[in-house]
Amino acid sequence: MSDLFLDLTFSLLQTLFMLALAPLIIGIIRKVKAKFQRRRGPSIIQPYYDLAKLFHKGSSQSSTVSWVFHIAPYVCLGAVLVASLMVPFFITNTLGVIGDLIVVVYLLAMVRFFMTLAALDTGSAFGGMGSSREMMISAIVEPTMLLAIFTMALITGTTILSDISFNLASTGLDLVHPSLFLAAAAFFVCLMAENARVPFDNPATHLELTMVHEAMVLEYSGKSLAIMELASWTKLVLFAALMANVFFPWGIATEVTAQAIIMGIVAILGKVVLIALVIAVIESSMAKMRLFRLPNLLTVAFTLALLGVLSYYIL
Amino acid sequence: MIIIEAILLIPLAVAVACFFLPHRRTLEASALLGTGALFIIALMLGIDVLNNGPVQYSYWYVDELSAFMLFIITFVALMVVIYSVSYIGHDYEEREIDLRQFRSYYLMVQLFLLTMLLVVVCNNLGIMWVAIEGTTLASAFLVGFYEKDTSVEAAWKYLVICSLGIALALFGIVLTYASSIEVLGASSSALEWTTLRSIAPELDPTYLRLAFILIMVGYGTKVGLAPMHTWLPDAHSEAPSPISALLSAVLLNCAFYGILRFFIITELCVPGFATTLMLIFGLLSMALAAAFIIAAKDYKRLLAYSSIEHMGIISLGFGLGGYIGIFGALVQMFSHAMTKCLLFFGAGNILQKYNTKSMDEVRGVISVMPVTGALLLLGALAITGSPPFSIFIGEVAILQAGLSNEEYLVSGLYLALLVVIFAAFMYHISRMVFGKTTEGVTKGDAGPISLIPMLLLLGIILVIGVFLPEPFTDMVEQVAGIFPGGRT
Amino acid sequence: MNEQALTGVINGLAAFILLTAFVMVSHNRMNQLVRTFAIQSIALGAFAFAVAYYTGSDHIYVIAVLTIVLKGIVIPQFLKYTIDKIHVRKEVEPLVGIPLSLLLCAGLVMVAYYVAEPIIAGADAVTRNTLAISVAVVLIGFFLMITRRKAMSEIIALLVIENGIFLGAISITYGMPLIVEIGIFFDVLVAVLIMGLFAFRINQTFETLDTTFMRRLKD
Repeated sequence: MSDLFLDLTFSLLQTLFMLALAPLIIGIIRKVKAKFQRRRGPSIIQPYYDLAKLFHKGSSQSSTVSWVFHIAPYVCLGAVLVASLMVPFFITNTLGVIGDLIVVVYLLAMVRFFMTLAALDTGSAFGGMGSSREMMISAIVEPTMLLAIFTMALITGTTILSDISFNLASTGLDLVHPSLFLAAAAFFVCLMAENARVPFDNPATHLELTMVHEAMVLEYSGKSLAIMELASWTKLVLFAALMANVFFPWGIATEVTAQAIIMGIVAILGKVVLIALVIAVIESSMAKMRLFRLPNLLTVAFTLALLGVLSYYIL
Repeated sequence: MIIIEAILLIPLAVAVACFFLPHRRTLEASALLGTGALFIIALMLGIDVLNNGPVQYSYWYVDELSAFMLFIITFVALMVVIYSVSYIGHDYEEREIDLRQFRSYYLMVQLFLLTMLLVVVCNNLGIMWVAIEGTTLASAFLVGFYEKDTSVEAAWKYLVICSLGIALALFGIVLTYASSIEVLGASSSALEWTTLRSIAPELDPTYLRLAFILIMVGYGTKVGLAPMHTWLPDAHSEAPSPISALLSAVLLNCAFYGILRFFIITELCVPGFATTLMLIFGLLSMALAAAFIIAAKDYKRLLAYSSIEHMGIISLGFGLGGYIGIFGALVQMFSHAMTKCLLFFGAGNILQKYNTKSMDEVRGVISVMPVTGALLLLGALAITGSPPFSIFIGEVAILQAGLSNEEYLVSGLYLALLVVIFAAFMYHISRMVFGKTTEGVTKGDAGPISLIPMLLLLGIILVIGVFLPEPFTDMVEQVAGIFPGGRT
Repeated sequence: MNEQALTGVINGLAAFILLTAFVMVSHNRMNQLVRTFAIQSIALGAFAFAVAYYTGSDHIYVIAVLTIVLKGIVIPQFLKYTIDKIHVRKEVEPLVGIPLSLLLCAGLVMVAYYVAEPIIAGADAVTRNTLAISVAVVLIGFFLMITRRKAMSEIIALLVIENGIFLGAISITYGMPLIVEIGIFFDVLVAVLIMGLFAFRINQTFETLDTTFMRRLKD
């Protein structure tokens, strides 16, 4: 088997894995939050049922929408999946040849772009409001995310995500640098902001004053809503994978042996579930921030990322 | 040799005594006695150093420059303590302050004196820093002595701005130490001035340059060099007048002494760098002071700005360098201390008579208080550099240094600023001294206790100005000798 | 511990100290400011411990203990006491908004890096790289001083500057002679006490701790 073929197989496998895992992770977060609220909560596989139900339902749409609204769910899911091809999950063999961290970051930007376009397309007031808020947040999140991952690129000397993981995981603790923690903290804030979690947004609300993400997908129903939701859930897993494998990749499989791969799967599952738990704890213990306070938190994250880069040069 | 310890212990002992003494008169007596003894011991030590060379043991080092400073500090302190008997006594009689404040005044003056003496006798530049920061802390209470809103404000500004500046200076000391241990290895003497001077040419110039900038800005804040001077007019105008005199005549010189120690080392390592900096800060301070002297409305602030001007002149003198420049700067340091002390005493007498610091409300001092008025006028002439007073000699020497170094632009600016300041200062003072007496002011001069130190101070600057006595020139010549390029 | 791990710890602590400086910029409560200052001082003490362990010199241990006890515990407790005693509004009320402050401070870190570079090039201590961090902490302290105009926050800004210089002193010289360090500690302690006392007086005479009210003295 050639290397390229190996990379292709594994990246497809990993993408499918992420896609399949996404509803489960959401289920876990919801379950933990329910426990915090002293509810029994739905089963952790409830999101699968939700998706199945939505896929079987017909969808009703506003008569004024254009083609943008129709293709947006497919573009979003597609972009997320293409991005996942380049992100290592349980093994460092991915399709790094087709793109590096910048491509990944901008594929994710494309998801956001189409989501806001679709929301604007419906002409609904909520859609417009959600879009403008989303754009305000992403204006700071995007450079922060780039800087944070770029710090890791500096430390490891490559911009290809799987190589970053590979270099870090294979050299042990020698590459650990204070910058890593600063960048990781910045990236975690981005993770929360990009995936519409508390304190940036509340995924469980339909209150017009606070909606950001929900306001944008409000007009979708049935199958297209299912696709939209699946895209954003997969995006969460993708971010969790980035967090786990770019900043703390230890445990990931760096060679193609059964033992290493099993090890890698166990490690990444553990890490992603851990991130899900952290998210659930934060969401349960924090209130959503007022919209006008968000730039404060986001600038803190940006400064953290900038400090990461700077302290790499300084120390 | 315990003479240096004695110099430090006397003010400490007096401070402790002040804490326990019950009466006004005993407090005054102990302060007078202590400061008098201090002056005599310092004079003895000074003469010994001038005759037999520097004294150095354990943490202490007293060379000609320190002896010169010791003389200024202890003499001015003595004058201030004498004057305080009249000034603070007046406040006490008028019930503006109670016995607790009266006692804490004498106590803090002694502590302030202690920290200033520590600055000039210690060999270790780090300890010198601690002492200079100590002067800020000890004098902050004195600046805020009256506990009014304006004096609290002045004290706060003084504390914050000077502590900030001093913090920068500490960074400069760290850098100096870093360059020193590179040559010596980690040794406890690496921060001692005597050691540093002996290894100065081997020190790393990059470190030393940066260190001197930090020291210049840091201690320069305390000296009152522009643009770090902002605390100075507030503190000088809000403090009780004898304290203003102490601040202006001694504290500024002490901080300048801190700069000079580093100046010597830096000049030995990177010639020409420190002098340029001194030149720039000097001219800047003079120019700024000139502008504020023209616009002054409050006579204590006027005197404060004049202090900034004189610190600028001294800085310029050292910056121009050469024997004549350094000679001029040292004469200036000495004469400014004496003259400014005299002027602040005069201002204190006026303040207690007129109860205002505004120049517009003070008229006809000469007819109300003939002696104070005359002394003030003579003092003003002296401070602006008119012959036959000693500041004239200093200023002319510095001008000569400028001309002989062919720094014509600097000399021209210097001369122009002096003329402007002379005109503005004399305008303000003569309006206060002459003119129709302000209504509601009863005639009658301040008591003899306040006039004696003023007369004494005037006598000194006059004698030096007219005769330039040999012991004085010998002393200044010896002090100038420790500066690079300061030998004839 | 091997040398590499030790330098890792030293660098990590330095980065953490810088981080706490930024956290202070982002605070808008006086109590938070004091708490973060205490954390910073304890980190500084830990830094001194690490350097002491690395160099094996006894006097840095003394300094480390003094830092933790004085700056980490005594001074913050005193400041907290003063804040509680003076019943005033406890917001910091910065003159420059927090997001802009943070970005400006990040700029200051860059400035610090360029300023410190020539010195770092000439030094040979293992901790030389942390000098840039110390300059940055000093600059951030100055920034706090300029933009946070309350008496208490000015005291804390001064202490942050002191911490920065202290970090610098350990970074390039492994600490100054012990007697000097003790003198500096004494000064800092007395300065904080006196400034605390004046904060009381400001509060009495102006009924606020906002130093921008103090505009009576001018020409």
